[in-house]
Amino acid sequence: MPSRLRYGFSILAVALALSAAGLARGESYQEPEAFLAEVFGSKPAPKVFWLTKEIQAEASAILGHPPAQLRQRYWSDGRKSVWILEEMGKDELITAGFVVADARIDHVRVLVYRESRGGEVRRPSFLKQFHHARLAPGTRLDRDIDGIVGATLSVGAMERMARLALYFDRKSREQ
Amino acid sequence: MKRKTLALALAAAFAAPTVSAQTLDQKIEILQQEIDGLKAQIRKMPAQGRPAAAQTPLDYASPLDHTAGLASGSTTFVGYGEMNYSKFRESGDAKADLRRFVFGFNHRFDDRLTFHSEVEIEHSVASKDDEGEVEIEQAWLNYRFDDSINVKGGLFLIPLGVLNETHEPPTYYGVERNEVETRIIPTTWRELGLGVHGELGEGFRYDAGITTGFNSGKLDDPTVGIRSAHQEGQLADAHDLSVYGALNYRRPGLLVGGGVFTGNTGQNGQANPLLKGVAARLTLWDIHVKYSIDRLELQALYAAATLGDTDQLNAAVGATATPPFAVPKTMKGAYAQAAYHVYKEGKLDVAPFVRLERFEIEQQEDPANGLFQDPNNFERVTTVGVNFKLHPQVVLKTDVQRYHTDKSKDRFSIGIGYMF
Repeated sequence: MPSRLRYGFSILAVALALSAAGLARGESYQEPEAFLAEVFGSKPAPKVFWLTKEIQAEASAILGHPPAQLRQRYWSDGRKSVWILEEMGKDELITAGFVVADARIDHVRVLVYRESRGGEVRRPSFLKQFHHARLAPGTRLDRDIDGIVGATLSVGAMERMARLALYFDRKSREQ
Repeated sequence: MKRKTLALALAAAFAAPTVSAQTLDQKIEILQQEIDGLKAQIRKMPAQGRPAAAQTPLDYASPLDHTAGLASGSTTFVGYGEMNYSKFRESGDAKADLRRFVFGFNHRFDDRLTFHSEVEIEHSVASKDDEGEVEIEQAWLNYRFDDSINVKGGLFLIPLGVLNETHEPPTYYGVERNEVETRIIPTTWRELGLGVHGELGEGFRYDAGITTGFNSGKLDDPTVGIRSAHQEGQLADAHDLSVYGALNYRRPGLLVGGGVFTGNTGQNGQANPLLKGVAARLTLWDIHVKYSIDRLELQALYAAATLGDTDQLNAAVGATATPPFAVPKTMKGAYAQAAYHVYKEGKLDVAPFVRLERFEIEQQEDPANGLFQDPNNFERVTTVGVNFKLHPQVVLKTDVQRYHTDKSKDRFSIGIGYMF
């Protein structure tokens, strides 16, 4: 190996070793409990939303696959509801918290992002596109969400979860 | 009036329990389904039970049943592929091809360490007598210290251009991948090595690393620039390593970035003894931008490369080949592309597009030895077509391509592509 490359390799190795020692941190950006506390002030008792056959069918249409759970835990203070959902990005699950108020997305946060690429979906510049989004007739969002190059499937997962949260909120108020 | 009030009261008295009973029935049915599901899961468990780490540790119900979440044990299966048909205008020939069938496994060892892989089968059949190839496109481990620092090692894609890392058919326009990111940037381009990558603040992502490089002793086709000298992790001569760096800025609807890759390619004459002591440095770089506003998508890229010691490469490689050829010396190309989503409703998306490309692969001529420039390596290509997505991950494509120099490549193409 030429000496310049050996030198570069050594610098890289030292930098990585220092990083490993000093910067170890997880990829969970906010614990669900902390997210709930931020939204409600304190964590309210969870409620259970039952997925009847009709709701399962609609959830399947939104997600593109059947929901595995037949009941979904959520939190609500009457006006706002919080839905912590998971959906597959490219090859890992994305965990995101959605706050719905007055049938609109009030707030979104990516709580856990596991993919090696596409982490831009957790940035405010992406998430702000969901602010005040609501369901158009049917279960579509009332707006287009701009994609991020290299994160196509993560963007799709976030959009599906937003629709599901809005749909669950709507149906939970009917139950 | 009294009778009517009494009737309503009776109706209400009987109706309420009926509604409750229906709701209860629904809940019992749902619970029964859940119990059946749990029983089925228990039956699938090995005797000692599933690893604890495979359970979702968070206090909420996941909408998915195949979650492994934060901890170890999750393995996912991914894939993409494309099937193309092309009819050439000049000759009237037509070809249908299962161009690529790619599958891969990704595995999460723990919350920091992951493995990523892709295996590609090209042209449907791979054997001694067929055109097809089976190749490992990626096989690398990633260790995540932090969002800002990931370290990867193995066979991975070099982060140059737009296509090289994001090359699944539904993510780009046109049946064929664009020429500039085929002939100048040799997509899908991977090397064995060690890299570091991560985020630098809002939207910025960097990549840097040290990898195997090209081997100019293996050059045999100047029409594709440096591509024929790639090693793809196949007993790669690694006397001369290369380094790369890339910086990209992403935000919704916008990508701006660039990258550079440089290293010697002589490889101490391991592939060709005449190249012993010849550096033959290759430096390849690009800048790119992609911008979407409302339904309009714009994309442009410029890439350029230089290869050193081309006189010596000509003598060692070009002049001794059959047939002889002049080795590529400088390579550059650019394209601009515009697409408009004329219909986008639900999963359906129809987007006509136009792409203008130009590339120049200038060869090191040596008239004394009969090595000359191939005029077809100075080319302009116009592509007009439509991408029709049946689903965000499934696309039908059709286009017409006009080559301004080598008209034998003019064609009409149809393709099907998918990714999951």
